[in-house]
Amino acid sequence: MKNMISEQYQQAVFDTDRQLALQIVQNAIDNGVLPEEIVFDIVVPSIEDSISSVSERRYTNLAQHFMASQIAAEVTEMMVPLFRQAPEIVGKMVIGTSSGDFHGLGKRIVKGCLKAQMIEVTDLGLSVPAERFVDQAVELGAAVIGISSMMAHTARSENGSIGVRRLLKERGLEQQIRIIVGGTPYNHDERLYRTVCADAWARNGIEAGAVIVRLLGEIRP
Amino acid sequence: MTTALERLFLTAQGIPTDRIPVFCNMLEQGAIELGLPLKEYYSKGEYVAEGQLRLQKKYGHDNVWGLFYVGKEAELLGCRNIIYASDGPPNVGDMVVRTLDDIEKLKVPDDITSHPAFAEIKICMDILRRECAGRIPICAYVTSSMTLPAILMGMEKWLDLLMNGPAEARDLMLEKCNQFFRKEIRAYREAGANVLVYANAFGSLDIIPERFFRELSLPWIRRDLEEGGVEGVVYYCGGARMNPVIDQVYQATGIGTFYLSPLDDIATGKGIINGRALCGGVINDIELIDWTPEQVRMEVKRMLQAGMPGGKFFFGTILMPMSVPEQNIHAMIDAAIEFGAES
Repeated sequence: MKNMISEQYQQAVFDTDRQLALQIVQNAIDNGVLPEEIVFDIVVPSIEDSISSVSERRYTNLAQHFMASQIAAEVTEMMVPLFRQAPEIVGKMVIGTSSGDFHGLGKRIVKGCLKAQMIEVTDLGLSVPAERFVDQAVELGAAVIGISSMMAHTARSENGSIGVRRLLKERGLEQQIRIIVGGTPYNHDERLYRTVCADAWARNGIEAGAVIVRLLGEIRP
Repeated sequence: MTTALERLFLTAQGIPTDRIPVFCNMLEQGAIELGLPLKEYYSKGEYVAEGQLRLQKKYGHDNVWGLFYVGKEAELLGCRNIIYASDGPPNVGDMVVRTLDDIEKLKVPDDITSHPAFAEIKICMDILRRECAGRIPICAYVTSSMTLPAILMGMEKWLDLLMNGPAEARDLMLEKCNQFFRKEIRAYREAGANVLVYANAFGSLDIIPERFFRELSLPWIRRDLEEGGVEGVVYYCGGARMNPVIDQVYQATGIGTFYLSPLDDIATGKGIINGRALCGGVINDIELIDWTPEQVRMEVKRMLQAGMPGGKFFFGTILMPMSVPEQNIHAMIDAAIEFGAES
């Protein structure tokens, strides 16, 4: 039955039909599916399916990513209080847009996806200086810094990923903290993440979730 | 000698000319030419016009712009805070629509041309018309009803409203943006613009699902263009791909020019257009920053080989980042002129 529910949920998310997705979740709960199963066997696989769609070059779009992320976050928020045990946080990250960049959509999509995967995300907001990224990551014990940029000059700025790398190096933190970048300039130049000294990049907010999980796995003792 | 305007006109008609038109979209680079900080440069229409004229003279491309920066449209609708950078385009720093109630309050100026934010645009356009009319195409940038809300309320909030409703608020937003659009495109035409770049990121399937495109984008594209017609209008999705929607947009509107994304396959786009309209092949100007001049030359050659067969093709850029080196701009335009002259 769970497979069938999962397929129905995935289709509703793919169709950006929030009401139907929430109804499917409610019906599942009514039929005895556990809240933990809703999150880990239905919501998380749905995010993974969205990632497969992108990697298989099926035509997906920003609105689908936005809705998939929002629905995942909404369902997770509803389910977690119903868990028998508080879920284990598998990692922490800080996220923000690069200095001078005021486009926040990408990081919102990332946050929604990561919530379902039990990753604690602290949103540092818009136009975040390099020093603040590093200071906050240290203070909060975050192992990943996510930097979103929509414009070429903010992606390449000395006060963006390049500045974060310099500070990590100066403070001897490169083994403890990874940098992931994303946003339009990276989609137009797949080597740009190396130019700006990041460890990884993602084509979109949905894919970023998977890459961040991998980076956290690299850091975890 | 063929002028840039004649070249564009002849190419659009499918009539062979000396070479393909070469559109190079540089805005902030004008400030570099004048040696001015960006904030000062954008404060006067004289500066922007002079920057555009100097750039055109220096590089020899086939267009000039009356556009200052994209946030100008937000200023015309009440935005009072533009955030300037030293190395890139200004950002809108004050969302005009913060809550759904603000949509009701959003005031579209009765006469855009008398709005203080249009005054310097008008000065710029007057100079460009005086210096370029009948010789060089003058471009204006007009954002579609479906896309304008993204700069008035932010991309997140607009996507939220678009996907989750309430539908009444969404439709009111679109209605007001459409009122503004019709006035804006008329104002630019009257000011002398003969290339109207219709910016519609929300008219790309990279941004919205097919169903939303059919049910919302396409009807609003029709409404945007029904009053003023499509003369000089260029369909542009802000760098997002458009090949999957070209046929529907053409059938719905008869738009005469499609300006592809760097991520669109040029030969595929030409095939879909199938001689019905002019096709702009657009270079990836993010990679242009780091390519060597020889790589730039080879990329331009590749693009032109894909796009030129059958005619009705021209070369273009997105809004080029300031950090594209001058030598690469020269290499790009020189290559487009050289390979674009081959029959």
